[in-house]
Amino acid sequence: MPVNAEKEISNLWRTLHGAQTEICNTFYRWRDVAIEVAGPGVKPLDVALKASEMMGKDIGKNLLPRLNWLKGEEGFILNLGNAIAGIWTTEGGIAFAEKGENPGEVFIKCTRCPWPSAAKQFGVPMEEVALSRERLFQTILEDVNVFFNINLKIDMLKAIPRGEGMYLFKLYKAN
Amino acid sequence: MAKVLFEWDYSSYPGAKAYPNLFKPIQIGNIIVPNRIKYAATEDNLNDHNGFITDADVAYMRSRAQGVVGGLCFMQGVYMDEKRQGQGYVGQAACWDDKYIAGLKRIADAIHGERAVAGFQLMDCGRVGAVEVDSGHGPSTVPQRLRIFKPMFEMTNQEVKEMVKQHVDAARRGIEAGFDVMEISGIVGYLISNFLSSYTNRRTDEYGGDIRGRCQAMVEIIQGVKEVCGPDVPVGIRLCSDELLDDVKGNTPEESMMTYKIAEEAGADYISCTLGWQESIYPVISRDIPQGNWLHLAKRAKENVKIPIQMAYRLFTPDKPNKAIGDGELDIWEMCRSMIADPHMPRKVLEGREDEIRHCVACNLCLARLFRDAPMTCYINPLCAHEHDDRYYPHPVDEGAKKEVMIVGAGPAGLECAYVAAKRGHEVHVYDKREELGGTVLEASRSPYGDEELMTCPGYQKKMCELAGVNFHLGTEVTDEMIQDVLPDTVVLATGPVYSKITAKGGDSGRIVNVLDVLSGRETVGENVIVWGNRKPGIGVALYLAKQGKKVTIVGKEKSAGFDINPSFKWRYMIYMKQNGVTAYNDCDIEEINDGEVIIKTYDGYRLPVKCDTIVVSEREANDSLKSIVQEEGIEFFVIGDALVPRNMSSAVHDGYRIGLRI
Repeated sequence: MPVNAEKEISNLWRTLHGAQTEICNTFYRWRDVAIEVAGPGVKPLDVALKASEMMGKDIGKNLLPRLNWLKGEEGFILNLGNAIAGIWTTEGGIAFAEKGENPGEVFIKCTRCPWPSAAKQFGVPMEEVALSRERLFQTILEDVNVFFNINLKIDMLKAIPRGEGMYLFKLYKAN
Repeated sequence: MAKVLFEWDYSSYPGAKAYPNLFKPIQIGNIIVPNRIKYAATEDNLNDHNGFITDADVAYMRSRAQGVVGGLCFMQGVYMDEKRQGQGYVGQAACWDDKYIAGLKRIADAIHGERAVAGFQLMDCGRVGAVEVDSGHGPSTVPQRLRIFKPMFEMTNQEVKEMVKQHVDAARRGIEAGFDVMEISGIVGYLISNFLSSYTNRRTDEYGGDIRGRCQAMVEIIQGVKEVCGPDVPVGIRLCSDELLDDVKGNTPEESMMTYKIAEEAGADYISCTLGWQESIYPVISRDIPQGNWLHLAKRAKENVKIPIQMAYRLFTPDKPNKAIGDGELDIWEMCRSMIADPHMPRKVLEGREDEIRHCVACNLCLARLFRDAPMTCYINPLCAHEHDDRYYPHPVDEGAKKEVMIVGAGPAGLECAYVAAKRGHEVHVYDKREELGGTVLEASRSPYGDEELMTCPGYQKKMCELAGVNFHLGTEVTDEMIQDVLPDTVVLATGPVYSKITAKGGDSGRIVNVLDVLSGRETVGENVIVWGNRKPGIGVALYLAKQGKKVTIVGKEKSAGFDINPSFKWRYMIYMKQNGVTAYNDCDIEEINDGEVIIKTYDGYRLPVKCDTIVVSEREANDSLKSIVQEEGIEFFVIGDALVPRNMSSAVHDGYRIGLRI
């Protein structure tokens, strides 16, 4: 029986998107669990930011074997930007990294992100979504900075959940 | 006046004539070593998990001491801190207290019993340590790149000084145990190398900064150890000549050479020249690296220091080190892996018995075992790490118990079994339908990236069979009738595997060839090839064909390609597959074969069409042939190697050895 390419691809595509949706939903389910276990005094934003830190730390560790200095500082920062954009893509976003005008400066753009839609279903404030993303990326850099003995920073300049149409992060070498 | 520890006269030995540079004396510190041979310190995980020496380790070391024929024989590096942060292997020997001296003395005595020079090594594993505790120590808190290693934390200035003292105290215990030479390990990611490297040392106190600062801990250790050793016990150090850590801002080669010069200035009596770290992204000792590949680093070391330079690292045969020593590029030939595979290797060189050497095939299984907290073993030496166990030796059988043994198959399993059984006194006949010995290794050794070295295994076995008086019947296919006619006492079926049939629709119509026929050149393939089977034979043939420019896709039922290859080598194959454009569809089956196309079905039901004009079958199954007839005749029989369960050459050799002992 010949392969019906359209059918195979559409099945795979649906499965992929289902899995991506589940990434977001599972995170927010666990957020609810953590808030309930933490008790009435806890601020949900603190829980979310702590989760971002723990995940960022682990993602940073995962990046260490994949990054290297062989292409020099500029190449390294661009590679790192691409790796960060790649995390977003895996989750279902449309993201990419591009060189900035200044040396050692890379911009990471995301024009489609599945997290705000999922957050809405769970009643999560949009500002928490934006700050969580920023904290996640900042924490990724912690181990990377120590490992490669460099001081990189990442700032969030725009965020979809703030109604700014896209995420824009600046990854750069701090003095 | 330099001291001679043991007198050796090699003048009557053929090896001393063939390789004169290997068997001439050398002065190290104030002792004379009679030859240029060294068994380099190698972890074996054979000791008690509290660091006490075991019978297994003593026997292991005695065997290597027999091999060095008077040369240097080093026991594994000892850890020196009670907190066990410096312990890198669960069976590593300890030396943080005087209570360990008695056990260490057993090793020194065993080495001296063979009239060899006993070496002691101090090894805090630093960044790759803390195997039994939650966290390790190092000059700076640099995160681990590999998750297999524990998190580590920066040592305080006081802790560094304490660590220096631990080295000195351990050296004193080594001397009390009777060792003749002291060595400090500063390589591959262990603590001293962590101090030396710009990658892992970010300190701003006197133990960090520029290369001199980063060497300060090493200098204090060398000086402290020298003081406790006195003039009669030389002190050497193992140092990386190139860390191969460019990708993480490690030392430059020039900085590495500075560490050599500074070690010499501090009083080191020799340097063992190594390269690479466990975290390096480049291979250094696997068989895809040509023999002698790293000798230029020893030469560079010689150009930078005056003290003797030693080196192991892909020097498995005596010709290259003999020449290098003659050319003034090396002083001492070190061996690690090659003497794991054959502890008597240099002795055989000396005695002119090179064809009796069981050569290491550089698979790094030994390393993979250590990192997974398992005792040392060797891919091709079944006796390795069992030297203390009498049951592993081929003892002669009683006269009345001698048997006529028919072994069907002259591959690695059959040949191993044959010489072991024959050594024990059995009358052994080996049959093979082919005219050559080696079985499927004949074809497997045609795969690229060093697989030709696999042929050293049947080469060794052939010689052992000849010495043991094994009878060969080559070009003879064993049939049921032949077994009924000969009626031997024992039959060993070492017939190799059978190759799986493809049951997919169209399986009888496509162009399907066998992996052995492709590797031997008996069959040709088209431009778009699917290799059926994602274990080592599939990867080997895929790379062989990809090297010829074919577009190769591997399809197999295992969840990951090469799951049967040990992790210390598998990563090489993954890189080579990528470099050669080989795609692998794992956890998949061939569903349908059409004209110029094969439909692959994933485990979860997706169907992928792949262009294909030839399918190479490398998937194997157990081989039941001849089993019924020997059962019917009531003959004692054994099935070994791939005929029993298709695995790898190591399993074949180990099966053969064990059954050879059992018949």
